Order: sequence, then C-alpha cells, then structure tokens
Amino acid sequence: MLEMIKELIKYRELLWNLAIRDIRVRYKQTLLGIAWAVFSPLSMMLIFTFVFSKVAIIKNTGDIPYPIFVYCGLLPWTFFASALKLATTSLVANPSLITKIYFPREVFPLSVIISWLVDFFVSLVILFGLMAYFKVSFHWTILLMPLMLFFQILFMIGLGFFLSMGNLFYRDVKYIFEVIIMLWMFATSVVYPIKTDSKILQDILMLNPMTHIINAYRDLLIRGHIPDISTLTLPITIILIIFLSGWFWFHKAEFLFAENI
Amino acid sequence: MANTIEFTNIWKRFKRGERATSLRDLIPKIFRKLSNNHKEQDNTFWALKDVSFEVKKGEALGIIGPNGAGKSTVLKILSRVMKPSRGSIKINGRLSALIEVSAGFHPDLTGRENIYLNGSIMNMSRKEINKKFDAIVEFSGLEEFLDTPVKRYSSGMFARLGFSVAAHIDPEVLLVDEVLSVGDMVFQAKCADRIRQLKNSGTTIIFVSHNLIAVQNICSRAILLMNGKIEKAGSPDEVISLYHDYVFTQQEERLRNKLLNATNIDKSKRDHLVEIKDVVLCDGNGSIKRQFNSNEDISVRIYYSAKTSIRRPIFSLGVVRADGVNCFSSDTRLNGAVVEAIEGEGVIEAHFSRLNLGHGIYSLNISVWDEHMLAPYAVRRVDTFRIKTDKTLLNNPDIFIPDVIWNNVEADS
Repeated sequence: MLEMIKELIKYRELLWNLAIRDIRVRYKQTLLGIAWAVFSPLSMMLIFTFVFSKVAIIKNTGDIPYPIFVYCGLLPWTFFASALKLATTSLVANPSLITKIYFPREVFPLSVIISWLVDFFVSLVILFGLMAYFKVSFHWTILLMPLMLFFQILFMIGLGFFLSMGNLFYRDVKYIFEVIIMLWMFATSVVYPIKTDSKILQDILMLNPMTHIINAYRDLLIRGHIPDISTLTLPITIILIIFLSGWFWFHKAEFLFAENI
Repeated sequence: MANTIEFTNIWKRFKRGERATSLRDLIPKIFRKLSNNHKEQDNTFWALKDVSFEVKKGEALGIIGPNGAGKSTVLKILSRVMKPSRGSIKINGRLSALIEVSAGFHPDLTGRENIYLNGSIMNMSRKEINKKFDAIVEFSGLEEFLDTPVKRYSSGMFARLGFSVAAHIDPEVLLVDEVLSVGDMVFQAKCADRIRQLKNSGTTIIFVSHNLIAVQNICSRAILLMNGKIEKAGSPDEVISLYHDYVFTQQEERLRNKLLNATNIDKSKRDHLVEIKDVVLCDGNGSIKRQFNSNEDISVRIYYSAKTSIRRPIFSLGVVRADGVNCFSSDTRLNGAVVEAIEGEGVIEAHFSRLNLGHGIYSLNISVWDEHMLAPYAVRRVDTFRIKTDKTLLNNPDIFIPDVIWNNVEADS
C-alpha cells in the first residue's frame, strides 16, 4: 500500500501533465472553449426545469427553488458520469503507452478524473451565481463541501479502476456502463428527491452512495445544515471498500495490461 | 563491480491467436471448456526460454537476432511493461528506454506542450525539463515549429522531437531499441553521438538493433538471441560473425530452393543430348567443399554425359551473387582448352587459383553449348557456394577483393 502511494507520488507530475493534456485537448479547436463545461449542466437544468414544472407533476423539493435543486444535483452528477465514461476507455485509448513504456497505469483513470474536476469547479461558480439570482442565502457549511467532494472522488477512483480495467479485458464494459449510468441517474436524487412507498425498494435505493452524496451537497450548499452523520456511515463504508478493492485489484492486474490490450 | 542488471532464468509465455475480448466470445468459450474437459489445444508458445544475462555497471550489451527471436520481449520485461512467466530480474538504478520515443505525443498539442508531456511520461520532473528545454529544442532542430500542433509535423519531425526528449534523460540504465533509424543522416549521426556520450559518462546500455555495425561500435559485449534462447554470448565480433553465418546459411538455402524450382521449368528445352550429371567444388587439396576462404584455390568439376558424339562443345561457367549481381563468366573457348568432341561420360574442370570474391553466397551457372554458342544443350543453375573473408562484419560486402599493396612512396625517389 505504502509503495503504491510512493510510486504515485513519484509520478505526480505525469498525472498532472496528463490531466492538463486532457483538458487542453478537450477544448482545443472549439469556439467556446471551457464555456462548454458550463453549458452542459446549465442546459440540462433548463430542460429538467421545463419538463418537471411545466409538463410533469412538480415534485416536492421543499424549500429550494427547483432550478437550484436540479442544478445542485446535476453538478456532481455530470462530473461523476462524464469522468467515469472517459475513465472507462482511458486505458484502451493509450495502447502505445501501455505496451511500450512503464509507469503506474493508475495515472490513466486518475488523470481523467482530475481533468473533469476543473469542469466541476467552473460549474460550481455558476451555481453560486444562480443562488444569488434566486436569492438563496449562503451558509458557512459551504466550507464543508470539499469533504463531500473528497468522498465522491474516492468513489469515482474506485469505480474508475474497475471500469477501465474491465474494459481493457472485455470491451463490452463500455457499452454496459453507458446503459447503467443512465439508469443510475434516475435511481439517484439528481433531478428529484428519491422517495418511494415501498420500504424494501427505498432501502435498496438508499444503498446508492451517490444519492447520499448529492443530498449532502444540497444540505451543505443550499440548506445550510450538516447532513446526518449516521446516514452517511454506510455509504462512506461502501465508498472506501470500492476504492480500496479497486485499487488493489488494479495494481495486481497492471502487468497483464500490455499483453491483453 | 556490482551488476546493474541481473536477468535470471527468464521464461515468457504468450498466447497465440486472438483472445476473447468481448463477452460474446467469452461465453461460448467457457461452455466449450466446460463440455470437453481440457481438450482445447495448447495455444501458447514460449517467447523466451530460460534466458539469463548480467550487465555490469557502465557496460554496453548488444542484443541481436532475427525477427521474432524475443529481443523486444526482453526489453519489455526489462522496462517492467511485462512480467516474466518465470524467473527474476534485478535492476539497480534509474532506467529509461529509447523505445517508441514518440508514443506519448498527443497530436493536438504543440511541440512545446508535448516536450513537457513526454518528459513526464519518461519520469523527468518539470524542473529537469525546464533546465534541459533549450538543449532538447536545439537537438531536435525544430525551433520554428515549437508552437505548432504536432499533428502538422512530418513523420520525421515527429520522431526527431521524440528522440530529442528521450535522449536528454540522464539514466543510469538505458534501453535502446532500433531508434537510430529515425530522421535523416545528420540526425542519425547526432543520435549515435549522444548514445556514445552517455556510454562514456558511465551509463549502462542495452542496445537492440539490426544494425550490426552500430552494435559493434557501441557494445562491449553481445548476445545472439534465436527462438527465445541465447545462442551465443561473448564479444561483439564473435557473436556477430556467428549471426552472419546463420544469416548466410538461411540465404543459401533460400537461394538453392529458388534455383531448384526455376530449373524444373526449363528442363524440357532440348532432348537431352548432353546432360550435366553433377557439379562438385573442391579446394586446392582436392577435398570437396561448399565453403571457401576468399584466397583459397577453387576447382569446379562438371560431370557430364553425352548421348551422341558432339563436336567442339563449349562449356561455360558463370558466377552470380545471391542478390543477382553477375560476377563473371568464363567458357572453354577463352583459355584454349578446346574440347574436340565428347561422347559418353566425362569430367571437365575449371580451376581458379583464387577467386578474390567478397563475402557472401554465390550460385553457379553452368551450361554446355554447341560450337557456335547459339543454343545450350544443357543448363544447370542449382549449385551454390559460400565465400568467407576475415572481414566478415561489413553490412555491404565488397564484391571483389584484389590484392593490394600500399606503399609510402617518397616524393624524391
């Protein structure tokens, strides 16, 4: 474990440079550049606001204006879904590096996740703008937000390890994941609060760490209260298990990548 | 002195054929496996079989061998991209590889951005790259194009930039794989210089190449790898000449097969009035050989049989090098040994006191003609022989080795 961390520290500049490469490449030869980071969650917000307030039944979002509610859910979700989609293909996209040059393979999924973090922060600024526009007051609990972000990233890293490795051995993983991520969004409190009458279903839905993370974001950023620690212990345990098992497995399988890609 | 690299009893197995990379292929495969237990044929092969070597600090080891011998696999195991199936490796010191030097480039990024990216892929720190940036740019000769995306580079520029970055790492162990063929002549010379410079500053080098001259110049020791095994290890001269032997044997065999196939076609020309039964080559002592030194006597004996009496036939003999160059030809008219008539079996001999031909494989082109040399009675093009010289190491052998004596002639004498 210590050795794995040490090696990553040794290659931290590579991690950083690959992340910068990803960002630069993503917005190179586009007219709007980094503005696209804002555009996609913003347009999603407008669509959902329209659909849920004008077309479908308005869901009870409590005290928060619906656009803010949706945007605050879409913000971490876009980060989660986009970064993981790219992390899945991150190993397969670099065959020449994987078969020719040695460095810890962890940097591929990691750098993708880091690069999307930039987009996350850009959209976060827009959230603050929206909050000001809708006259939602700011609370000191915003300062605890990085802690939630930290657990979200751990979760994503763990999943990213599993997905990228799986996709290297079986290219089906990418397609399966695209379906799953769509279902997953609707099983998460991204655009509406998760509530069903069935007790069992509710329990199952509550196993999903993303629901807890997104709820916690809303609590910290908008409502201004600290989420209930007791409800967070289970999702955080799940996150840690996925993170650690993903990393160990990835590290053990790493040397097989070159011959199996 | 301590060993920098210890490569001990390494075995490496690969799978042949395509591996199931999607579930669609995997599921039927699993069922097949379950239904006929272990009946699936062994689809693996050993790319390396018990390969061991050691390299001392500051030494340069060359690895040569035909394609598919396992050279690249050795490098991949050394650079830790792959793990051996069996055996152990030990490397002391920072290792860097001049393999696929532009693998890390992203086409959309500029030359400048790619220098930093590629540098960090090769484990250089930003500070280190900053310090060497000017040297890298100067080495590549691409100052004007630094802010152009590399996708607009020519392939030569691309490779030059890659090599320039890689060449400026200060490794303790350097792996080099056939990168000297990058860029134009000037750049190649620069690369060779850089490798020599690293070697002189005490870098341990493993050099894989088909360029035997480069191996001979750079390396202090060499290994010949064939079919995953070490065929020979020793001084570059020894190992390279063994490899040359192997290459020429292969070439000889291929040539002989080609000649045999060709003669089958034009056999039905004349109704075999004369037949060349056999051709034998011997040296000055009369012992039959197929391999001669450049300065040895050679006799070519032609065994023929004529069905009817043929007046004043002409025997001709040509020597053709394996690559199709006609070296010379000669016939019985030239030196007056005119044969008045032949009938029945007989032998005729051509003797060369020395052939003065360069190193290589040659084929004999032997014919029997009528007296005006209008049409041949018989043609034989299946015999080959080989000339060895002391100077076996030139990639492009001399065709002709005359006897030369150099003298220092004083101006006034």
